[in-house]
Formats: sequence, structure tokens, C-alpha cells
Amino acid sequence: MTQQNIEQFTKPIGNANEINELLRRYGVKFGIYKNGVFNEQFFPFDPIPRVISSEDFKSIEKGLVQRVNALNEFLFDIYHDKKIVKDGIIPENFIYISKGYLAQCEGITPKNRIYSHISGIDLVQAKDGEWYILEDNLRIPSGASYPLIARELTRIAAPDAFSENEIIDNRNYAKLLKETMDYANCGGISAILTPGRYNAAYFEHSYLAEHTGSVLVQNDELFVEDNILYHRTYSGGKTRIGVLYRRIADEYLDPLNFLPESLIGIPNLMEAYRSGNVGIINAPGNGVADDKGIYYFVPKMIKYYLGEEPILKNAPTYLPFYEEDMKYVMDNLGKLVIKDVAEAGGYGVVFGSDLTMEKLEEFRQTIIAEPRRFIAQEVIDFLDLPILDNGETVMRKADLRAFVLSGETTKVWASGLTRFSRNPDSFVVNSSQGGGFKDTWVLKK
Amino acid sequence: MKTLNFSFATKLTFDDYVHDHSFALRIIPPDTESQKILSCSLNLYPSVITKQTVDAFGNNVTAGYIQGDHRFLDFDIKGIAEVDSSKHSTFLMPCYRYQSKYTVPSEALIKFQNELKEKYDGNAFDKAVYYSDILSEIIEYKKGVTTTATTAAEAFDLRAGVCQDFSHILISLLRMDGIPARYVAGLAFCDGETHSWVEYWTGDHWEGFDPANNCPVNDDYLVISTGRDFRDCAIDRGVMFGRYTQQLQLVRSVLS
Amino acid sequence: MSTISKEHSDRLFWLGRYTERLFITLRSLDKLYDRMIDEKHGYKEFLGYFGLIDTYKDSRDFIRSFLYDESNPNSAAFCLERAYDNGIVLREEISTKTLSFLQMAKDTLYNSQSKANIRLSLLPLKDILYSFWGSVNEHIYDDEIRNIIYIGKTLERLDMYIRMKYPFADVEKEFIRLCKNLHRVPKGTPYRYNTNYLCTVVEVLGTERDYELFSDKAIKSLEHLFEPMEVTV
Repeated sequence: MTQQNIEQFTKPIGNANEINELLRRYGVKFGIYKNGVFNEQFFPFDPIPRVISSEDFKSIEKGLVQRVNALNEFLFDIYHDKKIVKDGIIPENFIYISKGYLAQCEGITPKNRIYSHISGIDLVQAKDGEWYILEDNLRIPSGASYPLIARELTRIAAPDAFSENEIIDNRNYAKLLKETMDYANCGGISAILTPGRYNAAYFEHSYLAEHTGSVLVQNDELFVEDNILYHRTYSGGKTRIGVLYRRIADEYLDPLNFLPESLIGIPNLMEAYRSGNVGIINAPGNGVADDKGIYYFVPKMIKYYLGEEPILKNAPTYLPFYEEDMKYVMDNLGKLVIKDVAEAGGYGVVFGSDLTMEKLEEFRQTIIAEPRRFIAQEVIDFLDLPILDNGETVMRKADLRAFVLSGETTKVWASGLTRFSRNPDSFVVNSSQGGGFKDTWVLKK
Repeated sequence: MKTLNFSFATKLTFDDYVHDHSFALRIIPPDTESQKILSCSLNLYPSVITKQTVDAFGNNVTAGYIQGDHRFLDFDIKGIAEVDSSKHSTFLMPCYRYQSKYTVPSEALIKFQNELKEKYDGNAFDKAVYYSDILSEIIEYKKGVTTTATTAAEAFDLRAGVCQDFSHILISLLRMDGIPARYVAGLAFCDGETHSWVEYWTGDHWEGFDPANNCPVNDDYLVISTGRDFRDCAIDRGVMFGRYTQQLQLVRSVLS
Repeated sequence: MSTISKEHSDRLFWLGRYTERLFITLRSLDKLYDRMIDEKHGYKEFLGYFGLIDTYKDSRDFIRSFLYDESNPNSAAFCLERAYDNGIVLREEISTKTLSFLQMAKDTLYNSQSKANIRLSLLPLKDILYSFWGSVNEHIYDDEIRNIIYIGKTLERLDMYIRMKYPFADVEKEFIRLCKNLHRVPKGTPYRYNTNYLCTVVEVLGTERDYELFSDKAIKSLEHLFEPMEVTV
């Protein structure tokens, strides 16, 4: 199917209210704190699907598998021989200044050498149809549960849309996840570790636990004895855990190895992990590979580790750290977007075009003073997607988070989370900012 | 080369019962190029099964878990080591080139280092000696003014501290110069407790220097653990539950 | 899945209790609605069961409070919120489907507030709760887990019936139901009964006369039913 044909898919599938009502019923929520009070909000669903042609998906799929394989190689290398640094492909300080690099993980080899079991790769499509990688998320990417349950409901609300169009069934995510978890298992049951019901993604934690047949646990139910991770049962016994899909950040994972003040971690978990007695999904220390500064080097990694040309493009990126790039950034600051590598979640992003001449000059000096702190990117002309706003179709910015699962082989989930901004002037698609999500169709032919 | 008998004991006492106590001890000295551990025995009370691993920095970690109520945790090691400070470790982890949690310099420390830099130049050894000389003049060795949580920047502001603080400041200064440096916790003749000193990278191997005593390390120093700073080398770390409000730690070490 | 934590077992127990308390509260209020058609303050006796005094302007005020006021610990809204709080952390044990009935119950209760005929608009709520229990039966494969919810449910029912002075025959039936569930609990787990307290309940519920005289004692014993047995050396 050509791009032209795909653009005909601008009709809503089923009734938006009906589907949102169903989503409410099944509790598709995310938690949010406003003025210190916890609230659960429903994640608004837009009934116009994003459609990806089979041809497009095949190339995205190949590109993502290649990218994630290279990133896994990179993580193994960084925590072992550091060949890529020794060979001068990546400057050493980019690794060790990164907050995501954890010296405590040096020398640890996770089972089957897989570090990033679940990778959430954010892409955007430009107006010319080209897909660009915006960001790699190799720590605890979230969001797969929403399109998963949404598909279940859209098939109820709009059966014809699915019988008339050949759409790949995406309801295999839990199965893919289970296979990935089983492959990382070091003997024992599977568990999903949640910080608790007041976490923004609690719905997802519990939903994935239910659908993978894992136990949903909190840290106080777990303990490490003889360097084995156990679940404390209500009868006073213990059940060995073979793989832990943790939904808490590295720093909080083990108070005896990372932040001592962490109240949500498991003491000595790292000892159990280092001993090969438990698999941790994703591996601790992955943050070094999804750092904004490291992003620039991913195409180089693909060439270095796999000897292949990158299939998917990065957004054109410049590192002021390099003289040549610095010159370009200085000459073109007004049309670039500048990102502070230390910031995340949409913070520390500045569009040169938004700055006054005065501010621009000021910012130029900041970059000259701290070149390592920033990356600069060309602004991509996004392909906007239609969404339904009070019965009217309007065009909005959207991205796609693709999920790549690494087990025995690396697989791309034939779907993804399409998030859009409700605000016409905004690029921010985060759910906490009032954004919504869409079903993502990948066509069979 | 010297043969040392070493012993080290710690007594942790809580003022109320604790339970579900997980701990990680870094007390068994490792075999390295400059020291051979001929024998080493560890005793723990209450008696508990423990497991040994080697962490990312090459330290021996003894991990354990006590589920039931208890009010104390005592452990001691005894052993014999052969120390030869003329031999050196030659493996460099690049992370030692970069500042870590305890050594991130403040503006004041950066300024201080800049001024020294203008006055002096030399190789890593010269610099370690020079910095240590200056530190021994301006920093007072004083117990009780700093804690195990005090950073290099804080101790520098106080112009006072113990061996841990001297080590952190020296590491911070060396790393600002691009010289990899690491923190060492161990036993030394001068002390009845555990001691701390610094190792710096000469370009092809590690050398030890004791800034608190302003002298190079010799055969009278036994390494227990090394790391980026104190955080990686704490003798004991633990997480426990209970209504205790304080813990008392008594440490005694002997080197002969 | 066969491993269950102390925390989750407590959640299961309270999920059972609050869902049942909600059900009995709704049923009682429905009866009171009928009674209040003829009797303005027909709710006074109901308040008495829980040791409460009448601080309500009228029956409307009373009904509003006992249906919707979350700060009233005897209200339907309060019970439902507590049931939901417990249920939400049990998704992988009780299933998304089971949980969806609690969400539907919340929506139905909330939406009834603005309806002209509250009693009529609440009729589907009971159906939803029956479905909830059907779903519990259908989707929880593990008998041990399911039984903990049922222990909560049957204990709550017995407690409410005794407090509300239900006829002896009804109470006796519910007690037998509870005992059947109690006997399924494996030894050494938290919902294994304390023999001493169970004996007291058996004594009190032995005859109709004892039931009428000593029901307070039975209620007290039910409160302590899962206290660990004292070990005498």
C-alpha cells in the first residue's frame, strides 16, 4: 500500500465516546500528582488510527533490530573491554560523565549477554515520509499496555474496520514479553517489581503482570538470602524469583549498592544479580546507552559493531564538542533545536527560532563554555496526524514509540504507542501534559 | 616485602531489636599484585550463612541476611598477609579519572587547585607529594568535625577532618589534573581503627600515598578495599527493620 | 502462580469484606427506602444497629449520607472505595475483568446521584456485584487465593447479620458457610482461625437463646478470629 492510500485512513474507527467508556471500564489510567494530591486520570484515546504500511514497517523493523542489537553490543563493550573508546569512536568522557553509566556494573555479564530486553525507541515521520529516530529508551520504557488493551476494545467497537483492512494483530505483546522474561530467567518464578499503586504507570505494571502470569511485587515482599532473590509468602515460606522485571530506576534498585536512602529497593539484589542467580529486566547501567550525548554515536556503533550501514536515520545532530560541529552550530543556531544532555522528559530543550538576538548570543556563549553539555539538532518537519477534537478532524504533532524485545532473537512488536499533542502549538506528547494516544495499525500487505 | 598478622573486629549494637537485616561487608582483603593473603578467617555473630562475591572494583563482598530479631551484629577477621609495596597493580578503570560523588569539587576547591597548578608542575608522583604537603599544612587532622557523609568540598571548607577527608580532597585535586585516583580503605600501623589513603595512576601503574600522614605507602599498609570514594569502600552497609533509634559501632584493628 | 505475599492476602481478605459490606448496605438501604415511604424516620432502627444517633435532617439526608458520603465509614461510597483500593493492587490475582466490575459499580453509584429516582437507578448496581462474584469464581483459579476473599465475604456477612439482629436461622446458615471456608485454610497461614475465639462463636451460636443474649461476645470473637494462637510452653 502506498503512502497516498494510507492517507485515506483519516476516518475515526468506531465511536470515540464508546471506546473511551470501555477504556474507563477496564481501568486504563495513569496516576498524576497535582498540588501534592494523587489522582488517577484516564488516558484519552483518539479513534483515528495511525496506519503504517507493510513496506514502511519492514524497513522500520529491520532498522530497529539493527539499532537495538548494536546498542546491546555497546553495553556489553562499555562494561567490559571498552573497545569502542579505545578505538577512538566515542570520546571517553562521553561515557563516564553520563549519569546513566554505573561503575558498579563493570564486569557483570547478564544472562545471554542481553542488556536491553525491552527497548522503547521513539520515532517521528517527516513530511517527506522518512522516519527518524528521536530517542532510545533502554531503561524502563513504558506505554505498551495502552495500545494493547485499546486494540482489544476497538475490535469490539468497530469490528468492520478490522475485517475490511488487513491489520496485523498486535495482541501478542504479552506473549513476546513473557518469552523475553523466560529467556532472561535464571531459575524461579517471574516477577514484576512496582514502586506501588501511586506510580504513574501502575496500571501498566499490574496489567502486564496479569497477562504474563507474573507476580506483581513490591520491595518489602522480597529479600535476598544466599545471594538468591526470594518472594516472602504469606505462610512464612519463600519462593525463588528467576527474573525480575523491575519498574523502578537503577539508583533505587539496591540501597546497599546505589542510593542508600532508597526505600523502594531490595538490599543485595546486585549481589544476586552479579552471581547470576536472577535476571534483571532491563539490566542496570543501561542509561549510558540512551544518553542524549551517546545518541549521536549510535549510527557509528552500528558500523563499528555490526559492520553495517544504519537503516534508520538519526535526526541530523551536531556535537559542539567537535570543532567542525561547533562551527556549524554557531553559524546556524537560529534554526536548530538545542538539547541539554543532562535533562529529560522534554526539559532543557530550546528552539533557536524562539530566542531573541540577545538571548541567542547569550546561549552561544553558554555552549562555548560547556560544549559537552549540549547537542544540537535540525528541526524535523513532522508529518502531523489527524485527530478528532470535539467532532472535528484537526492535525496534530505525534510520535511513535516502537517496542523492541530482545530474547532468543530481537523482535519488533508490530504496533507501538502513538502519542499526540492536543495543543496545536506543542511538540510535547507526554500523557502527563494532557496528550492522548491512538491505535497503531501495521498493515499485513 | 613484609609478613603482616592482621585482625579487625567490629561490634554493631542497636538500642532495640531489629529484624530482616540485610548487610554487605567489605572486610576480606583481596589478593593483589602488592599483597598476598596467606590466610583469612571471618567470624560473624549471630551466626549466619553468607555468600562471597567480588564487586566491580575488585573488592570481596560478604553478603548476608538475618531474618529474626537480634540486637547486635559482630564480625571479625584474622589473617596473615604478605605485603610488597614495590609491586603494583596495572589495571586501570577509566572511571577513576572522573570525579565521583564525594570528590566533586566546589568553586573554592577549583580555585584552590587552579592557584596551585600555576605554581607547580610535574608528574603524577610529584603532584601527589606536592598536594599532600600543602594539605598537611592547611588541613587540620581532627576527629569529630566530619562524618562518613562529608564530601571533599565540605571538608575543604572546614579545613579539618580525618583520613577519609584527606583522601577525598587529594583525589579531587588529582582528578582535576586529569590524573586517575582512587580511594583505599585498609589497615595501617598508625591507627587503631581502619585507615584510608589514596592511589594515583602514574601512567602505567597504581602507587599509594597516605595524605593524612603525608607519606608514601609502604609495606605496613594492608588494602581492604578500593573504589571511587568512600561510598564504594564502606566496611559495612546494612538495611534493617525495627524501632531502634541508634546504632553503636566499635571498631578495633591490630596489625603486627 | 502460586506465591502470595502477606500484603496481598490481607488485600484479598479486605476486598471480600468491603464488597460484602457494600452489598449488605445497599440491600438494607433499599429496604429502608421502601419503609420510609410510610415512615418518615424509618431509618432510626438501622442507625441503632451501629450505635449511631440520628443527626440527619430527614430521610433524604440520611440516604444521601449512607450512599454517597465517603467520610461516613458506614456508607456505600466508603465501602466501595475501600473495596476498589484493595482490588486495584490485586489485578494479576483477580483479573482485569473482575476489577472492571468495581469500576462499573463506582460509575453507577456516582452517576445515580444526579438521577431523579435514585432507587431505580441503583438497581443495576446489585447485578454488577453479582457479576463481580461470578468473575471472582470464574477467573481465580487458585483455590487458596479465592478462599481468602470468601473468608472476608462470609465473615463480614455474619458480622453484619449479627449486628443487624437477623433471625437466628439466617445467622446459623451463614455461620456454617463461614466454617466451611475456614476449614479450607491451610495450617500456618494467616487466615487460619484461632481455635479459642472460634469456640466462643460456636458456643454463642449454639442455641437461639444464647444468640439473643450474648451476640456481643460473638461479634468480639469474630474480631479476633485470626489472631495468632498463643503458644504455651
